Amino acid sequence: MRKFCVYGKGGIGKSTVVSNIAAALAEDGKTVMVMGCDPKSDMTRNLVGKRIPTVLDVFRAKGPDEMKLEEIVFEGFNGVYCVESGGPEPGVGCAGRGVITAVDMLTRLGAFNDLAPDVVIYDVLGDVVCGGFAMPLRKGLADDVYIVTTCDPMAIYAANNICKGIKRFADRGEIFLGGLIYNGRSVVDEPSIIESFAARLGTRVMGRIPMSELISRAEIRHKTVLEYAPNSEIADIFRVLALAIFENEDRKIPEPLSDDEFDEINDEIDVLLRGKRR
Amino acid sequence: MDGGKFFGAFRACSGIRDAVVLTHVPVGCNWGAAMFKTTSNQSDIRHACTVMHEREIVFGGEEALRKALIRADKLYNTPLLAVVAGDAPAIIGDDIEAVIDSIALKKEVVWMDAAGFKGTMREGYEEALVHLAQMMKERNVIKKSVNLIGFCPDDFKVDADIKEIKRLLNSAGIRVNCVISNCSFDEFVNAPAAELNVVMGQGTELAEHMKKAFGVPYLEVDYPYGLEGTKEFTNTICEHLGIGCDTEQEFDLEPFKRIYLYLHELYGTPVSVIGDFHAEPIAHFLDCELGFDIEVLASNEDDYFTFEQNVRNSNTTILFGSSFERNIADELRIPLIRFVYPVFDHVCVYEDAPYAGFRGAVCLTEAILNAVMSFGKGR
Repeated sequence: MRKFCVYGKGGIGKSTVVSNIAAALAEDGKTVMVMGCDPKSDMTRNLVGKRIPTVLDVFRAKGPDEMKLEEIVFEGFNGVYCVESGGPEPGVGCAGRGVITAVDMLTRLGAFNDLAPDVVIYDVLGDVVCGGFAMPLRKGLADDVYIVTTCDPMAIYAANNICKGIKRFADRGEIFLGGLIYNGRSVVDEPSIIESFAARLGTRVMGRIPMSELISRAEIRHKTVLEYAPNSEIADIFRVLALAIFENEDRKIPEPLSDDEFDEINDEIDVLLRGKRR
Repeated sequence: MDGGKFFGAFRACSGIRDAVVLTHVPVGCNWGAAMFKTTSNQSDIRHACTVMHEREIVFGGEEALRKALIRADKLYNTPLLAVVAGDAPAIIGDDIEAVIDSIALKKEVVWMDAAGFKGTMREGYEEALVHLAQMMKERNVIKKSVNLIGFCPDDFKVDADIKEIKRLLNSAGIRVNCVISNCSFDEFVNAPAAELNVVMGQGTELAEHMKKAFGVPYLEVDYPYGLEGTKEFTNTICEHLGIGCDTEQEFDLEPFKRIYLYLHELYGTPVSVIGDFHAEPIAHFLDCELGFDIEVLASNEDDYFTFEQNVRNSNTTILFGSSFERNIADELRIPLIRFVYPVFDHVCVYEDAPYAGFRGAVCLTEAILNAVMSFGKGR
């Protein structure tokens, strides 16, 4: 079973990437399961066409002993198994613990054994804010992590923070960094910045998602690009990226940037922005 | 081995004998706190709990608390509802005050943030008493009266000790106004009527608070173990209140004379002691009055592993502590004299067999001799 996580700053395009590469891998004949680990619970909407009940919704309503697998796993486009962890309302409870509970429930109900997916993809909240959101990094749940980022300094900052979390677990041999996924949807679209950032981390860029109107159109209709425009260039980009990640065995312990190194990247972006204004 | 702030706050609150204590914690904390309390007083069930499960941790425990407050308010006919919130609600940030404020309850309600990780059991006890003190009322001072501060309802021998201490003070002409925390809500509210607060090992912050708020002075004394310890205890209080008393009259050496051969044999016995503030005064009694050699004297706030190692490396032949010391006593094949919280494998229901005071000195000596004489013979 190939298992990986996709992390990145909130709103950076994680769900777009995950839903499209899941659809692409399923199209390639693989049994795919995706799990959204974000209390917003909207990652699987593009695959199923609507919001699905979350693991924690059912857990709250029925308790751990009465839950059934079919109440929390839903088939989406291309037969992708979709799960949302869900979470508490903003401002109460513990969303991090929610991720742990949801993963535990999924395991307990036999999702991984009974459905026997070839690929499991976790889509995790923007930042590793606490141990709960680091859950997919632990206990061998995943092999490696892919971080989605744009050229925006705050996205790179968040990616760097995530690498700090990954390093902690990578040093114990639990998980590794697979690479970065570059999303060109930003004020500055300069792939060399992310190439440079990846090199400093000791990893590489697995693929580049260009800005595309097709992605927005597909998402407005709650669809993946593979479903909405299967013959498009952007759909092919997702197919290539999906395969690259699926086959990737080049896993690294990241070396997160210091504040000074991060400032250097910031300066590079600043220069580019000034050039753009002129 | 310290129980942390939660246990201290729970013990302080459950000492208000007609209050119901509502713990906002998962089941384990609740069971631990309740178990230590009910060993020797199984009919004293004034204890409710939200019993937080995983659902409450993930989605917040406020709704569970709201329901528990309403239920406890209906179920118990008590004047006070003390809410003690432990670790889990502190970690997830339950807004306990808002929940309490949102419900109209018949009882007075006080709540305390007593996350175990935020401090020691002693700190939990001190803070809880200061919280509870908001219920106290200014009262006219009753001459020659004292409050005894520092007790918990689950201390080993607590009822017998209080009875003996009251007997001693009464015979010196002193009235005990309130025993904190082992009193009714009404007694607690009227505690400022005392002329003097007597702090016996813990509760100093409450005494400080009462001094500032109500002008009640306080005195810190050791727990009265042994003949000399008791004499000093009574004399110090009498002196402070300007009362003359003759404690020598109380002295009865007759029981000790009857067993003088055994006491002579045990002279110089190496022993070790661990406990809370009771440990030092009992060690003083063992050392200065029974002539034992104190090998290791430790506080339960010290590192327990180090204590065990020190005991193993000593010549200790009798251990004085709580039920927690059973394992090390078994390992070393020596008798264990239980004298301090928590004791959950012995009961003490007879109220005329204290360990404190003059009578306590006799009972304690008897317990030590019996433990030694029966040790290894089908104990």
